[in-house]
Formats: sequence, C-alpha cells, structure tokens
Amino acid sequence: MTFLADRRRDAAERNATLGVPTISDEHWRYTNLRGIDFGAFAAAPSSVVLESGALPAGVLLMDLEQAAAEHPELVEPRLGAIVSTDEKFAAENAALWNDGVLVYVPRGVVVAEPLRARFTIADAGAAQQWRVLVVAEEGARLTFIEEHGEGQPGYANGVVELHVDAGARVEYVTFQNRHRETLHFATHRAHVARDAELDWVAVALGARTGKSRMESRLTGPGSSAKLTGAYVLDGTQHVDLDTTQEHDAPHATSDLFFKGVLNDRSRAVWRGVIRVAEGAQRTDAYQENRSLLLSPSAHADSIPGLEIKANDVRCTHAATIGRVDAEALYYLMSRGLDREAAEKLIVEGFFVDALERIGAEDLRETIRDALLAKLQ
Amino acid sequence: MADLVIRNLHAKIADSDKEILRGIDLTVSRGEIHAIMGPNGSGKSTLSHVLMGHPGYEVTSGEVTFDGTDVLELGPDERSKLGLFLCFQYPYAVPGVTVANFLRTAVNAHRDTPIRIPEFRKQMADAMDLLEVDRKMSSRYLNDGFSGGEKKRLEILQLAMLKPQLAILDETDSGLDIDALQIVARGVNHHVGADMGAIVITHYQRILDHIRPSHVHVLIDGRIVRSGGPELAHELDAAGYASHMAEV
Ligand SMILES: Nc1ncnc2c1ncn2[C@@H]1O[C@H](COP(=O)(O)OP(=O)(O)OP(=O)(O)O)[C@@H](O)[C@H]1O
Ligand SMILES: [Mg+2]
Repeated sequence: MTFLADRRRDAAERNATLGVPTISDEHWRYTNLRGIDFGAFAAAPSSVVLESGALPAGVLLMDLEQAAAEHPELVEPRLGAIVSTDEKFAAENAALWNDGVLVYVPRGVVVAEPLRARFTIADAGAAQQWRVLVVAEEGARLTFIEEHGEGQPGYANGVVELHVDAGARVEYVTFQNRHRETLHFATHRAHVARDAELDWVAVALGARTGKSRMESRLTGPGSSAKLTGAYVLDGTQHVDLDTTQEHDAPHATSDLFFKGVLNDRSRAVWRGVIRVAEGAQRTDAYQENRSLLLSPSAHADSIPGLEIKANDVRCTHAATIGRVDAEALYYLMSRGLDREAAEKLIVEGFFVDALERIGAEDLRETIRDALLAKLQ
Repeated sequence: MADLVIRNLHAKIADSDKEILRGIDLTVSRGEIHAIMGPNGSGKSTLSHVLMGHPGYEVTSGEVTFDGTDVLELGPDERSKLGLFLCFQYPYAVPGVTVANFLRTAVNAHRDTPIRIPEFRKQMADAMDLLEVDRKMSSRYLNDGFSGGEKKRLEILQLAMLKPQLAILDETDSGLDIDALQIVARGVNHHVGADMGAIVITHYQRILDHIRPSHVHVLIDGRIVRSGGPELAHELDAAGYASHMAEV
C-alpha cells in the first residue's frame, strides 16, 4: 500500500500548485468554471456498485483501493501510467480518489457478460472522486459499462485509464445520467496496443455542467478505436466533449461518430483532434459530429481538428449543426402526426445511424430508450 | 352533397407578396373525381399545399370548408384527421425512420386506441400486395434513396392505409411507367366511391384513362379558367393551353 500513499501525496502536492482552469486554457475555452466553489463539496463515503455475471478464473472486478493492497504487482505499474497529474482535475483525482474500480482480464480470457460499475452521489452536496483502471491483457475480451446514475446533486470528478493490450478487444460504455444540478468531470484515456480494438460508446444525458475528455492513443500498428457518442440535452445543460484520436503507430484506424440533440437553452461542445505522429503511415482516421437543434436558443459548437505529421494517411472530418427540417415536419404532420410526434420520429431517425454502430442489441435498445425518454 | 368547398381562395408565399392563387372556386363531393390540369407554375401544387396546410403559404382571403368545418383554421395533422390526404408531388425523405414505423405511427394518429401489431402487419401487407410493393420496403427508411416510382407507390400505400375522405393527387402519374400507373390507378379506384372524393392534378390524359374524372378544370395563373366534363381533358391533350392563355 505504500506506493499508493506516496502517489497520493505527490498528487496532492501537484494539485496544490494547479489552479482551476479558466477559459484561456486551451481545453476549457468553451466551458467556464468561474463562480463554482469546488471547496463547498464535502468528501463522501464510497458509493459505487459493481455488477457482473459469473467471472472466469483470474478476472477481477473489485474496489481499486483493495486491489492496490491485494494485487500491487498488477496495480502499481498500470495505475497513473496513462493519465498523468499535469492537469488540475486529474491531479485532484489522483490525490483524493475514493470510488475506485479495477477491471482486470488476464491474457486470452474472454468475459462474455458485461461488467458494470454504477457511480452515484448518495448525499446532496457531496464530492465523488471516481476512478476506473481497466487492464485487458493480450488477447483478452471484455465489455465494461461505466454508469453514472442520477443520485443527488454534487460534484463528480473521475479518471479512467484503459490499457488495451495487444490483440485485446474492449467494449467500453460511458453512460452519464447524473442529477440535473451535478457537475460532472471525467478524464478518460486509452492506450490501444498492436492489433487491439477499442469500441467505445459514450452517452450523455445528465449533469448541469459536464466536461469529458475522451482520449484514445493508438500505440500499436493495426490497432483501432471506434468512438460513438449520443447525447440529448435540455434546459440549461452544458456538456463539453473533448476527444482525441492519437495515431502514434502506422496502420491504425480510428472512427469517431458523435450525434447530439439540443433543446431549450442547452449547449453542447464537441472538440475533436486527430493527431498523427511522424511515422504513423497508413493511418485511417475519421471524425464526424452532427447536432440537431430543437430550439432557437439551443447552441452547439463543433470544432474538428487535424494535426498530421505523416504523409501517407487518410484523415477526414465532417460536422454539421442543423434544425428539424420544416418540410419533413409538414410531410409527417400531413399524415396525422401532431408536431410533437412528428418531431419525435425525426429525432429518433436522427440517432439511428449512431445506434446502428452499437453491436450488442440489448445495449442498443437500452440506449435508444434512454435517449427517447429524455426527449419526452 | 357538398363536401370540400373552396370559395374565392387567394394565397401567397408566406414571406413574399407574390400572390399565386388568385381566386379559386371549387366544390368536390364524395364519389367525384376532379382533374386539375394547367401549365407549369400555374399554382396546382400551391393549391394542394394550401389545402393541406403547408406553413410556407398564407391564405390572404377566401374560405375552405370540409363537411362544413373551416379547414383553414386547422394544422396539417388536424386536416389529416378530418379526412384530407395529399399525395405529394415530391415526397420528403426521413432518414432513420422505417416505413413500417412511420405507417404505424400515422395509422395510430387516426385512431383512439393503438392498432394491434398483427392487425397492422396484415393491413400493411394487404396494401402492399394490392399496390405490388415489395414487402421489404417496410423496413427501409422513409423515401430515403427511393426511386421516383417507389416514392409514388408509397404515397398511394399511405392513402390505402389511412383511407381518407378526400384525396389530392399531385402529379402522382409523373415518373411512373405504364404498369406502375395502372397499379397506382387501381389503388386509387379501390378507394374512390361513396366514401372518397379526389382531386387529380396532372399534365397528361394518360392517368385519366385509368382514373376517370367526372370533372376537369383548367388552372392558369392562379385561377380556374375553364371547367367541363372528361372531354375537356382530351381537348387539352390535343390543343394545349394556348387558347386559354389568351383568356387570362
Ligand atoms: N415556396 C415557394 N417559393 C417561391 N416560389 C414559389 C413557392 N411555391 C410556389 N412558388 C411559385 O409559385 C408558382 C406556382 O408554383 P406551383 O408549384 O404551385 O406550380 P404547379 O402548377 O404545381 O407547377 P408544376 O406543373 O411545374 O408542378 C411558381 O411560379 C412557383 O415558382
Ligand atoms: Mg406542381
């Protein structure tokens, strides 16, 4: 356990030197934290719930603190190896994390049933420092669902590190449905090794202010990352999704497809960078973001970006922000659907191509239902 | 029996002053089929959209009633429930929404209690068979990537399932091959009768050989300049609109 205590102390020292980011910080240009008193949130006892089917031998789904004590050989080299403490929220989390989860699937082992961790804030005004460490060793396969339930209003700050080792396949689901007054912050970062696959689905429905960094680094040749996002916001919700597709190795593929529907005065920001390192030839990278605005006061920002240092690559991006087509609405209404029903059908149709990317049918249905329920 | 009554209808595009319909009078009763012919740009589609409640047009004067109800007060959905139906000249695509899902939602919008799925499936299958539409079409996205002819058949399929009291067919014949035209006509004839009247907008006599009109009207420059029986369509087919243009 000493390694953990040392780490926490170092992170706390680092955290003390870092101020809350302002809109002059590159990653915080679209999310203003001014006026938020982070000190007002009280530390709370752990409230994470873990669920799984029967686990094959050697597979671990357990409390991270306990894992650090019982399996230090596993946790020490992996924890903090992907997400550094250079950034305020990551440093704070590294010092204070409480709701921690280890997902470990040994070499070659396939876990058929999804593994799930449900994070909720149990007491109003509480801070939840949540943390996930996923280790999928060579050739392992797993599905992990990181779910954020409604709970009470508070402040949630998380760090997720995904080690997808050579030839492994990880399906990762982030389902954020926090309380409408909760502040939700997340720093996710994945390392995807040679011939490994990361299939990542992110759903955002809740929170007052949400900021998620979703970073995929393709470290080995032949690796791939498929990133699917779907979000529905209303009221004055503000959600900022900050993605990277970092191609460090040749012959890797990344494919990002995010779709969002915005109602009332809500605001969504998607900022995505495809970064191709020198030598990452034959990179195939794609990013697409489509936003549908249901109200004149809703607002979306789509900021795609390419930073390419290799010459033999294919990188493309597309972004649109649109409104419900008045002619399509009229067409459906002329068949007897009232405005609400017609709009609902159009929005349902809008999400279909994102949903079609989700392979598991029950998961697809659950996510579709959640998106539609939010639209009611 | 006077079912649809249009009196001195004037309409313009909502965001311009240009008047497109300049005083239309027309009465269509159930069991009657009224053909409206006229040159491009004369206002035929505008009339059909104004009758259906397109938000892009504004009625400046006149009235439209259906069975005595003021139609112009109603939204497109309420007009549909009243029994009006427009076969669009250019149907819209709605990606991601399957034909079956759309049809079921539309059928349910016309009912107090939702239709049971097996009953719906049967109705849809029957209508598809009548119109010789491939049943696989039900799982495609509404008009998305459909050929011109497929779109027109789907319009008639909707008519067959919603069973309107008054159908407006806006150039449903355009882009159809001979076989498709006969199939579409069969679908329409199946429903026209004691319960349904129809307005058939067309440029060609051809469709009128299959859907036989009781009345024919010539619409030029936003006005009905001449009305007559079926023989008028033949006359127009042979002589064109030139002699009528002079009257405007
Ligand atoms: N939304 C609109 N915006 C601008 N002009 C319009 C609009 N709708 C109709 N018009 C104009 O009004 C006139 C009548 O158009 P409409 O589509 O009703 O003609 P039509 O008789 O159906 O012609 P066609 O035989 O080519 O289908 C045309 O000059 C057309 O350009
Ligand atoms: Mg027309």
